[in-house]
Parts: sequence; structure tokens; C-alpha cells
Amino acid sequence: MTTTGIKLAVGGVVVAAATGYMAYLGASTSWQYYLTVDECLDSAADVGNSRLRVHGKVAPGSLAVAADRTRAVFRLTGQRGSLDVVCNGPLPDNLKEGIDVVVEGRLESATSLHGDRVLTKCASKYQTASGERR
Amino acid sequence: MRTLGEISLLTAFVGSGYAAFACIAGWRNGRRGLSRAGMIAATASLAALTVTIAVLSHALLTKDFRFHYVEQYSSRLLPWQYSLSALWVGQAGSLLLWSWLLGVLAFVFRILASRKANDLHQPAFGFLMAYVCFLLATMVFGVDPMAANLAPGSEGVGLSPLLQHPAMLIHPPVVFLAYAAWAIPFALAVSALVERRSDRAQPVNADWIRLARPWALFAWAVLGVGILLGAEWSYEELGWGGYWGWDPVENGSLIPWLTGTAFLHGLLAWQFRGILKKWTLALAIATFGLCNFATFLTRSGIFSSLHAFSKSPIGWLFLGLMIVLVAGGGFLVGRRRHGLSPEQRITSLWSRESQILISAGSLLLLAAVAIVGTTSVALSEAITGKRIVVGPAFYNNVLIPIGLALLSTVALAPLLRWGRPPTAAQRRMLRTALIVAAVVAGAAWVVGVRHPLGIAVAGLVGLAVPALLGCLWLDAYRIQPKRPWAAVPAALAAKRRQYAGFLIHLGFVSVAVGITGSALGSRQHEAVVRPGETIEWAGRSIRFVKLRQDERADKLVVEAELEIAQAGAPLIHLRPAQHLHRLQNEWTTEVAIHSNWTGDFYTILHNGEPGGAVRLTLIENPLIRWLWLGGAVIAVGAVLALRPERSRHAIRNSKAPVAEPHALKRRRRQSQHARQEEAVLT
Repeated sequence: MTTTGIKLAVGGVVVAAATGYMAYLGASTSWQYYLTVDECLDSAADVGNSRLRVHGKVAPGSLAVAADRTRAVFRLTGQRGSLDVVCNGPLPDNLKEGIDVVVEGRLESATSLHGDRVLTKCASKYQTASGERR
Repeated sequence: MRTLGEISLLTAFVGSGYAAFACIAGWRNGRRGLSRAGMIAATASLAALTVTIAVLSHALLTKDFRFHYVEQYSSRLLPWQYSLSALWVGQAGSLLLWSWLLGVLAFVFRILASRKANDLHQPAFGFLMAYVCFLLATMVFGVDPMAANLAPGSEGVGLSPLLQHPAMLIHPPVVFLAYAAWAIPFALAVSALVERRSDRAQPVNADWIRLARPWALFAWAVLGVGILLGAEWSYEELGWGGYWGWDPVENGSLIPWLTGTAFLHGLLAWQFRGILKKWTLALAIATFGLCNFATFLTRSGIFSSLHAFSKSPIGWLFLGLMIVLVAGGGFLVGRRRHGLSPEQRITSLWSRESQILISAGSLLLLAAVAIVGTTSVALSEAITGKRIVVGPAFYNNVLIPIGLALLSTVALAPLLRWGRPPTAAQRRMLRTALIVAAVVAGAAWVVGVRHPLGIAVAGLVGLAVPALLGCLWLDAYRIQPKRPWAAVPAALAAKRRQYAGFLIHLGFVSVAVGITGSALGSRQHEAVVRPGETIEWAGRSIRFVKLRQDERADKLVVEAELEIAQAGAPLIHLRPAQHLHRLQNEWTTEVAIHSNWTGDFYTILHNGEPGGAVRLTLIENPLIRWLWLGGAVIAVGAVLALRPERSRHAIRNSKAPVAEPHALKRRRRQSQHARQEEAVLT
């Protein structure tokens, strides 16, 4: 290997290591558990105060949105159970009952989640495995 | 009509499958008759595919709700342009559009490539038809675009209001066009790798470079424009003030763009210096594989994404294809590794090939980080048993050093040369450019930029522009030493492709300015204001005049009329709004933006408050217009770079790479090298 080749290789290793370290720092401040409602109910004690991203369906008849659209209260349902969600923060335009959402936040108790962000499904409407319209 | 569509879809599928087999087998075994039969089958397949897409488009435009697809994605009241755009909104329609675009590009490639003497266009065409067949198989055996509507009498579910935006008329087809175009460099790379050759001087056919280069550039530019159009849609339609959220689906299209950028530079390194051959071939295959990975992300439903709640077995087919491509490509490159040895060594850190290596390494590192972050749910579950997602900080932390490294290589490139360190004249120009860079960085400090990243980017912009002008001056000086300024047009014409490349670099610099400005300087303010009330914010007086309501056939429009006054600037009127779409019973936020070269003033209307007041969010996003300008400059640069260098007649009569004297030199060196090898073997 030429001197230039050695310089480039050493530089590459240093940059890759620095990048890995920066990525680790970023991950350590931003990671969240990704759970379904049922998994969240099962592991409420384990996740403690960790930040969560919980996926479920907005239960029909449960959604109440504040007039200024900065707060929503609803029940997030899974296959076996449900979580009571209070979400403060800007709400997506297409938040409504019966749709899949992901709520970011922390557990306040074993059955209630305090969220600060709701993600609704994209406008893209690909089909489910069963052919159900999304 | 539906029956016609079904028959034509099946015909296209069978035709493309036979065409793939006949073109590849005919080429492999030297059977011209079989190859001709393959071309006839391919033509029939494309004709049938065109009929299929015409049938579905017609059904969408005429609101023929006997089609399940039309019922799902259109409605009686939907304007015709959005009815047509429903073609690429659903799974089946988007796959149909993608396969048709691929079929059309395959034929354009076949016609253009057959005008250049080469041995690779025929197998490459066969591989492209095999991919068309794969896409059609997902419809024939999976999601049928011609399926019947089992609930007749429906007026249509309608298109999501969020998709009723001009950017959505262009963004998805542009991205599908790019994914289709990336199949061509891949097909050429595989053809070069599987070709049996007796030429010891060139064990792997380097013709693939000149055939792949324009298609790679086209695919790269189109994908870049597609990504920016998606970002613009997100900025204007989703009403959150940002344009990029590191969502898995956004990352899905960014990752092949990053590897594609590295691939394009790898092509240059191979063409000019005969180096990075294995990497370049591997990147051609990987970039195409990653386009399939992006499709898997969108359609598998296993990733936590704004877009990817959809679940479909189709997605897994694309993942399977990607795994086959990566494994197969790795095997082929490994098997031909002896014919892919570098012809030169890298002898200077300050040569173009060194900078290409640094930039390609940086791009691949960023792509690797994006892949890890995007798949963190699946990776963490496999390793720890728990699913973990990472936030934007994970990506942004890495983007800053890598972005600066890329910007540095882009700024330096014009004043470097291939194979050797810069000349004395180039070094003098470089010193001048560095002085300008220091002055620009100092000026940024004076005007109030305090963040080190902002100052660094300002300095690199200050380096990039004079470095490019310096390069142009030196080229002009070589032509007319006494009047170099008069020779600037001649210098530009003589090295048009090089300067088109540098123009693309300038576009990238502009994108970096937009990203840095908006990331560092963005600020926002929320306020509740009454009619006639004025608030002061960000050096502006914002007066809420009144709230208007407008009943339309398909929606209720509620908009706030704002007057914004700023010292020394004319009065601006903005109307942020909320639309209630009756069919979907869904509100959408319609932001209002005043844009100029210093920044955007972005206004969001949330809702009405008691007493006729409204709640507003006001956002100032500095320099964001430079981001969109950068995209336009990149597109113009790509068009200039794509223009043929020589006349068609000259190309027909030559097998040499177009207008590359270096390539002729390399061929001489290769012949010498082969003769030396033969001498050693004998």
C-alpha cells in the first residue's frame, strides 16, 4: 500500500469511528421502545419511565379533541386491551376514530399513556394483507 | 373494459417472461433467431402493458366504479387531475405505473444503446425484461389493478385530501421513474459481469461504463428531484414547518440516492484512472437493490413510519429480490475480481481520485447509518429481543460531520486533477479561494451568524464558488493566455461535461445552504389574535384582518386574512386556511408562505377561538429557498451533462468512450499490460 493509501485508510477508520460515536450519542438521546398496545400492557413494569412509541387503533367513540387542537384524549386499543391516552402537542389533520396511530410519550400508570406526539398513517393508501382499505 | 385489462396484463406478464428468457439465452448461445423472437415478445409485452395502463387511466378519468381500484381511490367530485394521480396512489396502480415506466425506459435504452457498438445492450435488455416480469408477477399473483368492485353503486371512497396537492401529481411518478431507471446501470453491470470474454486486456467489458453513465446520471437526477418534491409536499401540505423527518419511507428513497451518488463518482474513477472497479460494479447492483429495499419499507408494514402502516406480502417479495441481488452481485463481483484489479495507484491525497474516495466513503457511511436507523426496529429485536426506534438526533449527529466532509470535497474538486497533485497555478488559485473563504466566513460572523456550523458552511461556500471560477479561468487562460476572459465560452464548451458536473456541485452547495440556514435559524411563535389586532414578532407587524368562510361543492374553506408589514418591504397578504373535506369528513391545514431569498415566513391557522379570535403558528425559516434552488440547479446540470458530446455519426463509428482521450491512453496501457502479462505467463 502506498503512503497515500495508508493515509486514506487511517483517515477512513478515524472518520468511521467518529461517525459511529456520533451515531451512538444521537441514539442514546433519542431512542424509544416501539411497542404494540398489548406489549405495552404486558411490560408496563419493565419499560418504567422510558420513552415509548406505542402502536394501536383509536377506539371508536373515545376521541375528544380540544378546540385549539393542541390536546387529544382517546383510548388506544390493541387485540387484548387498551390504554387511556392524553396527548398534548400539535395533532395531525387526519386524526380520527378507528384509524391506526402511533403515540410517542411515557407511561403514567400501567394503563395510561401521556403522549406528546401522534403519528397517523400516511396519505398513501396501500392495501393490507387482507385487502382491507387503509 | 375490465376483461381487456385482465387479458392485456396477463399478455404483458407472459410476454416479458419469454422476452427475458429469449434475449438472455439468445445472447449467451449466440442464437440470433431466439434474440429476435425475444424482441418481438418484448414489443408485444410493452404494447399489452400500455393497453393495461390505458384501461385503468380511462377508468379513473371516467369514474368507472365497476373497477375496485377506482372505487377505492377516486370519487365523483374529485377533479380529473387528481383522479388520474390516483393511478399511483394505490399499491396495484403504482406497481402498474412502475412496470410500464420500466418497459418504456428499457425500449429507449435498447434503441439508444444499439446505436453504439457494444456487446452488452442485448443481455441488459433481457435483464430489464426479467424485472418487468417480476413487477407484473406481483400484480398477476398479488394485487390485481383490474379487480371488480363487489359493491356496485358506490360513488367512490375518494382520494385522501393530503394527496390533493400539485407536488403529489409529480413526486410519486418521478420517484418510480428513477427506480425504473436505476435498473439500467444494474442490468449493464450484471451483463458485464456474466459476459464470457477472451480479451485478456479487458477481462470485464468496460463498455458498460459509457452505456451506464447517462442512465445513472438520469436516474440519480430524477431521484434527487423526486426526493425534493416529496420534501416540498411535506413542507407545504403537512403544515408542520419542516420538510424532512427521517421517516423510514423518506430514508428509503434517500439511501439509494446516496449510494447512487457514490456510484456515479466511482464510474468517473474507473473511466479516468481505472480504479475502484469492484466498488463501482457493486454499487450499481447495490443501488438498484436498495430501490427494492425502499419498496419493501413502504409496503411491508413492519416499520414504524408515517407512511408504512400498510401490510402486504408484496413488500417481502421486494426484500427477497434485494437479498438475491446483493448476494448474487457479491458472488459475481467476487468471481471476476481478478479482472477488476486497479490499473493505477492513488499517489496523492490532493488528487481528484482521492477526493472521490473520501466523498464516496462519506456517502456510504451516511447510507449505512440511514440503513441502521431505518431498520433499528428489526435489528434491535433480533439482538436484544426488544424493538427500539431512534429519533432524528441519531441521523442529524452524523449528517453534520459527513455533510461538511462532502462539502469540502465538492469545494476543492475544481482545482484538483487526476493522478497528480495540483499544478503551481492551481495551488495559487486554491490559496486565493481559501482567502475568499476566510473573508466569507468572517462576513457571516459580522452579519450575526454565531453557530460554528453556520460559519463553516459559509466558509465552504466561499471556497466552492471561487474554486470553480478559478478552474474556469485557468482553462480559459490555456486557450487564450492574452485574453482569457474572451475564451471562457470556449473553455466551457471544451469541457462541457466537467462544468455540468461542477454546476451540479454548486446545486449541492445551494442545498447545503438551505438545509443549514433552516436548521440553525428556524424559530416559531404561537399566538391567539382577534380581528383587527396586530402582533409584533420577528421584526414584523402581523395584523389579523378577518376570518372568511367559503362553501364549495366538495369542501368548506375557512381562511384567516393576514397583513404582514416589515420595515422597508411592501405589505404582504397571507391567507392560511383550514379545509373541511366533506367526503372524508377530514380537516386539512393549508399553510400560507411568503418566500424570498433571505427566508420563508410560514403561517399556520389552527382553529377559531371564542370572540372571533384565531390561533396561529408563525414560523421563520431562513434561507430555505436555496434548498429548492439547489434542486433546480442540479436538474439543469444533469440535463447539460446528459447532452451527447459528439455527433451521432461519430459515435456510430467509434467503440471508444465518448470524448475521453484518457480512455484511449488507458486502452494503450491495458494492451501493454496484457502483453507484459502474456510474457510472464509464457
